[in-house]
Amino acid sequence: MLALNGVTISVLLFGIGLLGLILRRDLVVKLLALGLVNSAAILCLVSLGARRDGAPPLLMTPAAGAMVDPLPQAIVLSAIVINFAVLALALVFVMLLVERYHTTDAHRIERETAAEEDSWN
Amino acid sequence: MTSTSIRRVLVAVLLVGGFCILILTGFGFRGPGDGASDAWINAARETGALNVVSAIYLNTRLFDTVLEVLVFAVAVLGVHFYLTARGRAEPVESIPESSVVRIAADLLLPLILLISIYIVLHGHLSPGGGFSGGVIAGTGLLLTAIALGTKTVAARFGPRLLERLEWGALLGILFLAALPALLARPPLSDLLPPGTPGRIASGGSILLYNGLIGVKVFIGSWVIVRHFVDHRGEI
Repeated sequence: MLALNGVTISVLLFGIGLLGLILRRDLVVKLLALGLVNSAAILCLVSLGARRDGAPPLLMTPAAGAMVDPLPQAIVLSAIVINFAVLALALVFVMLLVERYHTTDAHRIERETAAEEDSWN
Repeated sequence: MTSTSIRRVLVAVLLVGGFCILILTGFGFRGPGDGASDAWINAARETGALNVVSAIYLNTRLFDTVLEVLVFAVAVLGVHFYLTARGRAEPVESIPESSVVRIAADLLLPLILLISIYIVLHGHLSPGGGFSGGVIAGTGLLLTAIALGTKTVAARFGPRLLERLEWGALLGILFLAALPALLARPPLSDLLPPGTPGRIASGGSILLYNGLIGVKVFIGSWVIVRHFVDHRGEI
């Protein structure tokens, strides 16, 4: 039986986000699912470094040995910033697509681009 | 729902579920880890910073952070480039907020900026740092933009000044990171002394990096928000 800890929950969230990315047709919902996948990765990394009753990674806390692992937290900082950057840029691309095809439905956009390519030939 | 789409959903659920079960059982997670290793704590002691996370991402693993700031800058540039090329949307008459909201936003902005400056300056002593402080200041500006309109806020800060500050901060970060190599010291090492732990002026260059990253993130997040408001998508 699997223990219910941060890692297990993060893998579940990752699966839900991946399913959203694959199955949902709305581009904005796809981006939300991408954000969920990223949050799952953050939760996984932070809970890998956590320990029970761990002190925050500050040197002024009395028991320095009982600290949580600071390395995953430092790496997660990059993940958060890059997630923000990727989402902002992806939203701009969705805006450009919507302006051209007047829909956020990925299937309709694919159909219309295929029709455009056929008309070129 | 047609049978092909049901089959698609089933295949996707099976694949993703199998993948998750594979990770959970095959990876051998034993739950939470053993906590901080002594190597990182000793490395943080050498920098003079009290916040071990800051000491890692702004001293030991500075290279990661510099590239991360570059990625952020490229994203801000991409949003700026594509939305400027797209042209402005039809201006919509903004409905003025009530005077309570407007005055409260004006009163809150200096406080929020003060908190963000505190968090940036204490980034090496307590939880916080350039990224969180910059985002707090950017959110404060967003609050006033919601209450007063982006035009009023943009008129308060000249766009030229903001652009120069943003790219100047990025150049400053790159220059600070390259300085040890230029002075024939070990690359990405710290040139400033660690100082007394617990003082503001301690922790070597971490304070400088935090300040520059704070300015960069503050202006970068504001630029992204302003462009999204100015160039609304339409369906």
